[in-house]
Amino acid sequence: MDEQRAERCSAFLNIGRTARIDSRMMAWIFGIMTAAGIILFAVKGDGAGALAALVKGCEGAVSLTLTLAGAYLFWSGLMRIADEAGLVKKLARLMRRPLGLLMPDAPEAAAPVTLNLAANFFGLGNAATPFGLEAMRKLDRGDGRASDSMAMFIALNSSAVELLPTSVIAVRTACGSAEPYSIAVPTFLASIAAAAAAVISCRALGRVIK
Amino acid sequence: MNAGEAAIPLLIVLLIGYALIKKVNIYKAFAEGAKDALPQLVSVLPYLAAMLTALEVFRGSGALSALVRMLAPVGRLCGVREELIPLIVLRPFSGSASLALLRDTLTEYGADGYIGRAASVLVGSTETVFYTVALYFGSVGVTKTRQAIPAALISGAVGVAVGLLLIK
Repeated sequence: MDEQRAERCSAFLNIGRTARIDSRMMAWIFGIMTAAGIILFAVKGDGAGALAALVKGCEGAVSLTLTLAGAYLFWSGLMRIADEAGLVKKLARLMRRPLGLLMPDAPEAAAPVTLNLAANFFGLGNAATPFGLEAMRKLDRGDGRASDSMAMFIALNSSAVELLPTSVIAVRTACGSAEPYSIAVPTFLASIAAAAAAVISCRALGRVIK
Repeated sequence: MNAGEAAIPLLIVLLIGYALIKKVNIYKAFAEGAKDALPQLVSVLPYLAAMLTALEVFRGSGALSALVRMLAPVGRLCGVREELIPLIVLRPFSGSASLALLRDTLTEYGADGYIGRAASVLVGSTETVFYTVALYFGSVGVTKTRQAIPAALISGAVGVAVGLLLIK
């Protein structure tokens, strides 16, 4: 019990640390973009334009969130139905064997990895992240170095194989597209190609970068 | 009506039918799933606000077009249209900023033309590589990331290339 709690605590601490690493990277991107923009406005002598642009960005965030809200609620609701009908678990069972081919040295991570990929596949980003963190814990050997399986998992997570790119479809609908779903099939095929490239390059580079 | 448009409502009907047979309380399940989406929406708004503020001032000042002009010759060599370069540059760094930029691209060039469809496929088929790497490797304290980042970037480049070929 205590061990479990300790494990959970350290996981939380680690998440805090990542958030810092991530936000530091984003802080630089945010800082450089904002500073470069304001300096360029200043060079043009357009201080009012700089202020207007800064506030317009926040207004855009509010309207974008509202635009996304409807589609997001709908698909999250639907995916929960799939989950409770046992379809998500069924998929995980189906995927255990093929996953063994990709990550031979970590059979115990098969379940969280599959659930992570399945959740991503069904667009459940919220559910995918906890499974992904669990998978990384199972794959970790505590030496601060990425194993081939870890690298494979990260590479797979970086190619977005998703049944439906719901957020893109929501944006297309909001922008008055006559056929918002027309990009679904090419998007799916492109993401499959990206996943295949992830697997191949991960295997090939893993032999070179030790 | 294209195949995708017909298939999705059909899949939804099948899913609902299957769930009813499995005796799932689909009304409650749907509501609970939708409830899960709410905190996500609330927590994403402040980050969107920060990112869009930076993006708006970066673009409004002409800094973005300067960066794109610098990268345009590289894109031309690979056969990528200039209008798509900002999205390709931004995509690995931020999901929310790419969605915002996608919205702007669709508004400016139309959602159903070549640029609009290509931009949609680009955003839909790629991921925020740097965020994923930072989150997952950071969670177990891995600093030697070995082949993970190059493999993820190669994968993204292949996704972009295949997407553009399919749209043409």
